[in-house]
Amino acid sequence: MSALVKSLHPDEKIKAGKLGSSMVKAGIGLAIVFLGLSVILVLARGTAEAGHDSRWARFFFAYLTGWCFAVTVPIGMMWLIVLHFLVRGRWVTAVRRICEAMTGAFLVVWIAGLVFMLPVLFGYTDLYYWSTHDAHNPLLNPILQHKTGWLSPGFFFLRYLLYGAIYIAMAWYFSKKSREQDESGDPKITDTLRKVAGPGMIIYAMVTCMTGFDLMMSLAPKWWSTIYGVTFWGSGCVGAFSALALIVLWIQRSGRLVHSITEEHYHDIGKWMFSFTFFWAYVQFSQFMLQWYGNMPEETVWYKYRMFGDWQWVSIAILVGFWAFPFVFLMSRWTKRIVPSLVFFAVWQLVFHWLDLYWNIMPQYDWYSPSSGLNMGPLSGPLGLHHVAFDPVDITTWFGLIGVLLIGIGVNLKGNLIPVKDPTLGLSLGHEQL
Amino acid sequence: MSTAEAAAPAHEPGKAREAFRAVTRDVAWVAEAPKPHKLWLVALAISMCAFAIGIYSIYKVVWTGIGVWGNSQTVAWAWDITNFVWWIGIGHAGTLISAVLYLTRQTWRVSINRSAEAMTIFAVMAAGLFPLLHTGRPWFAWWMIPLPNDMGSIWPQFRSPLMWDVFAVSTYLTTSVLFWYMGMVPDLATFRDRCVARGKNVRAIIYGVLCLGWRGSARHWHRYERAYLILAGLATPLVFSVHSVVSFDFATSQNPGWHTTIFPPYFVAGAIYSGFAMVLTLLLPLRYLFNLQHIIKQTHIHAMCRVMMGMGMCVAFSYLTEFFIAWYSGNPFESFVFLNRCFGPFWWVWWLMMFWGNVCIPQFFWSKWIRNHNVIIWILCIFVNIGMWGERFAIIGVSLSRSFLPSNWSYYTPTRYDVGVFVGTIGMFLMLFLLFFRFAPVIAISEVKGASPEAHAGGPSIGGHH
Amino acid sequence: MSAHEDTSKETGSGPVSVPEGGELYGLLAEFDTPGELITAARKVKDAGYTEFDSFSPFPVHGIDTAMGIKRTILPLVIFGGGFCGAMGGLALQWYCNVYSWGWNISGKPTWSIPANIPIAYECGILLAVLTSFFGMWAANKLPQVWHPFFRLERFGRTTDDGFFIGIQASDEKFDQTATKRLLEDAGAIAIDDCHLDPDPARKTMPKWITAFIVASTAFALIPFAIAAKARTSKSSEPHIHIFSDMDFQPKYKSDTAMDLFPDDRANRGEIEGTIARGWLEDDDLFYRGLVPGENGMQWTTGFPTTYPDGEKFVVDEKLLARGQNRFNIYCTPCHGYDGHGQGMVPTRVADSGGNWQARNLIDPVFGIPMIPNGQLFNTISNGFNTMLGYAAQIPQADRWAIVSYVRALQRAQNATIDDVPADQRSSIR
Repeated sequence: MSALVKSLHPDEKIKAGKLGSSMVKAGIGLAIVFLGLSVILVLARGTAEAGHDSRWARFFFAYLTGWCFAVTVPIGMMWLIVLHFLVRGRWVTAVRRICEAMTGAFLVVWIAGLVFMLPVLFGYTDLYYWSTHDAHNPLLNPILQHKTGWLSPGFFFLRYLLYGAIYIAMAWYFSKKSREQDESGDPKITDTLRKVAGPGMIIYAMVTCMTGFDLMMSLAPKWWSTIYGVTFWGSGCVGAFSALALIVLWIQRSGRLVHSITEEHYHDIGKWMFSFTFFWAYVQFSQFMLQWYGNMPEETVWYKYRMFGDWQWVSIAILVGFWAFPFVFLMSRWTKRIVPSLVFFAVWQLVFHWLDLYWNIMPQYDWYSPSSGLNMGPLSGPLGLHHVAFDPVDITTWFGLIGVLLIGIGVNLKGNLIPVKDPTLGLSLGHEQL
Repeated sequence: MSTAEAAAPAHEPGKAREAFRAVTRDVAWVAEAPKPHKLWLVALAISMCAFAIGIYSIYKVVWTGIGVWGNSQTVAWAWDITNFVWWIGIGHAGTLISAVLYLTRQTWRVSINRSAEAMTIFAVMAAGLFPLLHTGRPWFAWWMIPLPNDMGSIWPQFRSPLMWDVFAVSTYLTTSVLFWYMGMVPDLATFRDRCVARGKNVRAIIYGVLCLGWRGSARHWHRYERAYLILAGLATPLVFSVHSVVSFDFATSQNPGWHTTIFPPYFVAGAIYSGFAMVLTLLLPLRYLFNLQHIIKQTHIHAMCRVMMGMGMCVAFSYLTEFFIAWYSGNPFESFVFLNRCFGPFWWVWWLMMFWGNVCIPQFFWSKWIRNHNVIIWILCIFVNIGMWGERFAIIGVSLSRSFLPSNWSYYTPTRYDVGVFVGTIGMFLMLFLLFFRFAPVIAISEVKGASPEAHAGGPSIGGHH
Repeated sequence: MSAHEDTSKETGSGPVSVPEGGELYGLLAEFDTPGELITAARKVKDAGYTEFDSFSPFPVHGIDTAMGIKRTILPLVIFGGGFCGAMGGLALQWYCNVYSWGWNISGKPTWSIPANIPIAYECGILLAVLTSFFGMWAANKLPQVWHPFFRLERFGRTTDDGFFIGIQASDEKFDQTATKRLLEDAGAIAIDDCHLDPDPARKTMPKWITAFIVASTAFALIPFAIAAKARTSKSSEPHIHIFSDMDFQPKYKSDTAMDLFPDDRANRGEIEGTIARGWLEDDDLFYRGLVPGENGMQWTTGFPTTYPDGEKFVVDEKLLARGQNRFNIYCTPCHGYDGHGQGMVPTRVADSGGNWQARNLIDPVFGIPMIPNGQLFNTISNGFNTMLGYAAQIPQADRWAIVSYVRALQRAQNATIDDVPADQRSSIR
């Protein structure tokens, strides 16, 4: 219940300086090396596999996984910023500029997404089954006929642009206003942002939900779950807060913001990591339990290939690694306040967040094409078809897209690293846990 | 926010203590006033009459059987389960205010958490009545407890969501009571000491036993605060689980309109939404009646309106998702059920209750003018209560009345005993709440003091490096 | 600030009566503000005192470190409680629904963990809550309704506006004057000596309270004693029907006595020789599959010629389709879709370790292809060995349809390459 007010330490280094450009450099390096490696790996690959026509299919599935990893970080941070203004939060102010830089990555990430979206638009059919010719066969897929318009490359691409435009505009607006305040110190800007946060949250929720539905859920077009958007967001926020912890630490290691951001702030970031770990488990359990219990074939097929056969080991790994282990340890006060342990769990959760996305996306990679010549698409065919075939491309594209994410964040790490004239800064600096 | 500006006020001897005394006095006055307010008596009389109607209806239901209700083979769950879900939902606001807002350091909660917690307990009591009556033979309710018995190896069927309900709701009731009581202990000690000072020995003994001999020791406070924090941390996942489990009752089935995965968070959001409406419905009048405007401030009401607005949006968002997926899935039964909700024989439940109460009403709270006019807020809250009741009925009764087989379709009309039991629970709820408001510390005295600017009085000057 | 008249007596000012008497328990010093309380508490701690405590109407932020209070281990205990609760919840469900009485519910495995998680979760939370609630009071050694400081009138304000530090006389460093000076220097606004009651009898709990607790505990045990007795003893008396439910109804059940009729039976049989309209069933061929033969009636090898309503009976694709539909509903559970006797029932019997076979309808070794149609019809109607008759479920016309389908099935399943038209034989390999 304390309400201590502190002002900025006089010796504090708050200018980004070369920080951003060094991050961009690292990002470019990562992206070039690993995406290049991915391309080489694909070219070295002999033929198409798993019911696909082109040998690039694996690359695109892996790229989509990595892209979703990259996009959930700014998505989670966008939420934190909007929520901060919505509930008149306090502790976030000290790290908010960093969050803003992270949401700034939307632009770069969305451009990177064109790598798979443009092929889809121009007739590449090996990523999304609904774009194939056989998906439109009314005898084979009667359940897809009513939504051929919704799931058509043109409209799909249009929605992709729309979601991107909304995210980029939101991130840009909140960041711009915040930096304006650095210049003018006008407290009214905070009031404006608080007003905008309400409608902002509504739009944010819808766009995030639809992003999950479109980019990930439609990989299995005959399956659905109303909660899917929420699970996508919940898993993403675990990754986003872990990334925030790492980036803030990295900035402090460079000697900046060393007095402003204290273990109290790390404690709060850790709390959010913990909360979302729990929240993700809650929504994922809800989805699983209801479909398992309801036992309707059109729904359980999604879990059939994840509960039995090879994929069950990945499922168990996620259950233990993404939930049970961090859940038990992040409960403690000290794991969140001691830097090495927080770093450990942040890296751990980022890896498992990626694995969670992998688990969501990759079982749809195996398409079943019996001798009749018709392609049945994902989640069909015998269980033995669905192997967990870890491919080096999965890892290299992921690293490459981490590079892309770093570029996106790095270009926004400039000027002040802390909103110096925000009226709530004093409270945030003096923030203490109960 | 206001605590911030006055973090380190100039130290003037006795000033801080005077402020603390004022808080004690203003809250204790409610319980110490020799005569209750006339309006309070009127309200109590009305709610007792409603309760009497409920007792009579319950007597008829138990004695004759639940055939006196309007339930049928088709609409097997109707008003009773609707009321159950509605009441449980209302309880959620109390836990949310006392636990979640505590964890997220929302200091404005201190003025309302005690009464919201009490509301939770009474609402859960009212809720528990309905499944109990729905069993038809409430005297066999103990069969739901896994007791060794002389009928061979007969155990409850733990894989049934209805059994999950039993565990969730009883855990919820236990936790709410303990949390409420624990928070009240320091304030009961305050009452004890005031009774001692005024020579009221009988009351002093009662309060003294109830407060367990609390003496405000710092070593006690230390453990007390940790335990309180942990209880809040436990109540938060609990409150999520309770309404999720309630939603599982429906969502684990294959009935169109029931089987959808967003139900758990969607039910929780709806619960918080209706719960906050009920808190405001109760507190807005009582705040006037007992002169608590300077403790339950208008800014607190603003905050509650905002929470309602947010939760209302979550509910509306879930509606949208449900409609979208009903179409997207291509499941003809699912899409029919949603069309039936809007344009079927129960169209008015959807438009007048759900759409109006849960989608339109939250939009009013955008306006600051409305958030400052408590009469309007109160009326809006009534609409919200009705709207959320309508939502539960639309999910339960309306979906059942149009399930898979057209030969199974029917209409549902409540009987006087459906209405009677519902009115009775409202009466019981209000009666208990009014009694609580008269005899217990209705405001968390120690927490209000701890959250006040004077709590830091005389401390070392804070301000850091100027 | 206040809107109300205060009816209570202000005790904050004026001389305070200090009950004199027994030995000195300790000193109680009052401070003006929470901030000063922290400063003073730190001074007392730094002076080396250990047996002291501070008292305040609300938890003062920062007093813990000032007094040097160690962090409580309560969270760890609570975690243990929660863990035990969750595991206990799981164990309970396993014992009841798996070990003690396994029960097939909607085809799910008896030990289906997803369905057991909600209850395990609630049990975990419940036990954690109980641990934190009772653990906190136990660690605080409460309830303790009496304390020496309560003898000081001033101390009553600790729940209102008083901030106190109490130092016990039992502390090693305690010295009445030196300690008092320390407290004065720390900014105390008032200091009281606290003496214990001189009357030793008042130091113990009054006897009537003890008696009351013992009596009420004994009283509360009575219902449990009655239940325990009822569980262990035998009685020839019928059950006590508190709620009669529908155990006793004013009606006669079948095969009971009734003195209204001369035969003293409640049952009234059908009147002999009466047949309901449309139930004459005189067509032996259609209704029983019999035709006149050399030795009286014998099973037909063909099919009926007409339906009872006069329509011509034709064995065509429509009839076979109907037969397939009925066969798949009624016969496949035992005989399987292909008629080889590998349906779900024998499969499940085999899975659970039993041995029960359904007749193979196809393989000539088991004789079914050779029996006449009429006998097949009769078997469907009246059953055979462990197979029950389906007369109640399947009307005669459908039974004939099934016969036709079984014949088709036998033909198809026993087909050879010679049955394939010569020009298409090369396409199947």
